[in-house]
Amino acid sequence: MDAIEKQLHASPRNLRYIFTIAILILLLFIWSLTTVNLDNVSESGLGIAAGIIGGILNPDLDLLFSFTSQGVLYLLIETIAIAFLGTIMGSILAIPLAFLSASKIVPKPVASVTRLLLIIIRTIPALVYGLMFIRVTGPGPFAGVLTISLASIGMLAKLFVDVIEELDTNILESLDSIGCNTFEKIRYGIWPQLFSMFLSIIIYRFDMNLREASILGIVGAGGIGAPLIFAMNAYRWSEVGSILIGLVVLILLVEFFSNRIRNKLVRG
Amino acid sequence: MYDRIFPPAKITLPNGKIVYEKKSRAPIILVLLVLATIISVRFTNFDLNTLFKRGHEFFVIIGQMIPPKWDYLNNIWKPLLDTIKMSLLGSILGSIAAVPAAYFASSNIVSKPVAAVAKFFLSILRTLPTLVTALIATFIFGLGTLAGTVAIFLFTIAYVGKLLYEQIENANMGSFEAMESIGMGRLQAFRYAIFPQVLPNYLSTSLFSFEGNVRYAAILGYVGAGGIGLLLDESLGWRDYSSVGMILLMLIITVYLIEKVSEHFRKKLI
Amino acid sequence: MIEFIDVGKTYSNNMKALEDINLRIEKGEFVAVIGPSGAGKSTLLRCINRMHDISEGKLIVDGVEVNSLKGKEIRKFRQRIGMIFQSYNLVTRISVIKNVLVSFAPKLPYWRKVLGLYTKEHKVKALTALDQVGILDKAYVRVDQLSGGQQQRVALARTLAQNPDIILADEPIASLDPVTAKQVMDDFTKINRETNISVIINIHHVEIALEYADRIIGIRKGKIVYDGKAEDLTEENLNYIYKGQTEELQSNEMEGKTDV
Repeated sequence: MDAIEKQLHASPRNLRYIFTIAILILLLFIWSLTTVNLDNVSESGLGIAAGIIGGILNPDLDLLFSFTSQGVLYLLIETIAIAFLGTIMGSILAIPLAFLSASKIVPKPVASVTRLLLIIIRTIPALVYGLMFIRVTGPGPFAGVLTISLASIGMLAKLFVDVIEELDTNILESLDSIGCNTFEKIRYGIWPQLFSMFLSIIIYRFDMNLREASILGIVGAGGIGAPLIFAMNAYRWSEVGSILIGLVVLILLVEFFSNRIRNKLVRG
Repeated sequence: MYDRIFPPAKITLPNGKIVYEKKSRAPIILVLLVLATIISVRFTNFDLNTLFKRGHEFFVIIGQMIPPKWDYLNNIWKPLLDTIKMSLLGSILGSIAAVPAAYFASSNIVSKPVAAVAKFFLSILRTLPTLVTALIATFIFGLGTLAGTVAIFLFTIAYVGKLLYEQIENANMGSFEAMESIGMGRLQAFRYAIFPQVLPNYLSTSLFSFEGNVRYAAILGYVGAGGIGLLLDESLGWRDYSSVGMILLMLIITVYLIEKVSEHFRKKLI
Repeated sequence: MIEFIDVGKTYSNNMKALEDINLRIEKGEFVAVIGPSGAGKSTLLRCINRMHDISEGKLIVDGVEVNSLKGKEIRKFRQRIGMIFQSYNLVTRISVIKNVLVSFAPKLPYWRKVLGLYTKEHKVKALTALDQVGILDKAYVRVDQLSGGQQQRVALARTLAQNPDIILADEPIASLDPVTAKQVMDDFTKINRETNISVIINIHHVEIALEYADRIIGIRKGKIVYDGKAEDLTEENLNYIYKGQTEELQSNEMEGKTDV
């Protein structure tokens, strides 16, 4: 038995606490059950499920490997491009915001205001940005890039701040003793520490952005989402199958490589 | 490979020792990144001109959101609560279902092939964006909150399941073997030896995934899977931005509160 | 040559860190500064390269009056004095050689600084310095992969690459285990003998100080209470430096804390 279970038996107060929480969760659970409405479930559901599974097992290979602008490969590359550019732009925007929200660097009120702004940016779903940007640039992948940029800022800046606040400042003392000026201290003492950590965070976010970008098509902001929804609405299951296969393979591949690169960056 | 194309530089020290300095990867990585950027710009029709000319439109829209339309609050409550219910139900059921899923994916508990198959399914589930799962779910379960709940349920299994099997695989196996040696079955030994070890982390992960699920659930309405997303879609479609502002404000407050509460309990757990 | 003439130092909170310091250290000497925590050892060391300002008296290093230096002159002056720290103070996420090369950074033209490119000549010098401390084979390894002793040697190599006239070492072995500590001390001795660089070292471990240093300076409450050859240091001298509290001395050693 580990400490937690022992504690549980040792102290009756704790037991009551856990009991209360359990009841609370149970009540919440029952409350949330009221949302389930089985009326809309029709018998065609089973047929559709079978259709989708059939489509995945029997994908439209021509579509999967065609290079035309309707082909899965092309759309996947477009999705990657949206995620890539969006990540780069988002990172560029996030860096100043991160410094502005580091209480080590700027006065407290400035840091608090920036933090609030970042929380707001982070909470608004990317799809909402997508719908707004479509009004700005018209539908298409460009709106997707802008959406991804804005949607990445919140998380990127938050993770950047953590790195900034954990900087090892001992190194500055030794650079002082070598006779470095302020620029040299930043270039050789701060930058190397920030660079690999920031890069690792950016790659992590790219990984997430790829998933985001793959659904932006649903609102018309480019990428593979739109063809997916069209294919589904038209019940073309083999097309759906090939798009899903392409998407899953791509995301798994990118995740694999991004994990490897990040491990190398962080552990050396 | 790289070192064969660009052989390392040879540096000879005054005392005759020779050091090989591998050529830096930085230039080629830089070239690749620039190439990738150019290709991406081509593929996405990225256009700075448009951005400069019409970028302010975005802020015009934001300007129209402020002040939010306070009367709209009455229309928001039900879908907002629906969103919370969806994510709550999906998270609770998903976290419970994640336990057997993680059990069968742990290579130190079950046989290697079984674990590999289970891991494969978990990673596919995790890879599919929630919105896509929700879209598929609306086709199978019909429009409404049930589809959204199913999507969140599936994602939670995958997410909590993955973190849980990683925990189980790193757990201390000594007590597991001890329990097996006194005649317990694998399942029982797991229950008494491994589960207590991973319990606090499991609860914390489940809470964390609930936090994230509220955010995801907010957009599921867009594909007809219930919740506040439907309302967002409608108001954005009608360009009724002050209502959008109100919805977003409520969403931000809700997410913030849920995060704070969940953070409080997560800190207690670890 | 380092010369302290009636040097005193008062911190802004009116705490006297150093008082009436009169000291002459010739080129090529190996000096160990001992004394209890908070006695002013670190302050003494940091005055020499103007990491701290002195408040009274004169401090002359190789003919330069240290306290009259300003801005850019200070940085130029510091380039001639190497400094080693208890916590190594390396950038752990980059390679060993890049850490050593940093000591050339102030001398680089601007564009090289921005790009972080060094000349071949600098690389040869850096590698030679690494060879001197016996970790040439680790040149392209990232610092966070090295042990504490190896990291302290990288710091030593970084200092050597500066080609300094003086090396100041502030508790260089306090974070190391006894065996590595000896190896690092051996490196100091070797460098001192071979290159005639003066070495001034703050140290908690009295036995090691006696074993390696030619000269011992004992500090107590900001004043010099012993200054003489290592072999002449008696038990009574030690008792006086640490005020007869040999137990405290030992506990200080165990904790390996730095003093202010």
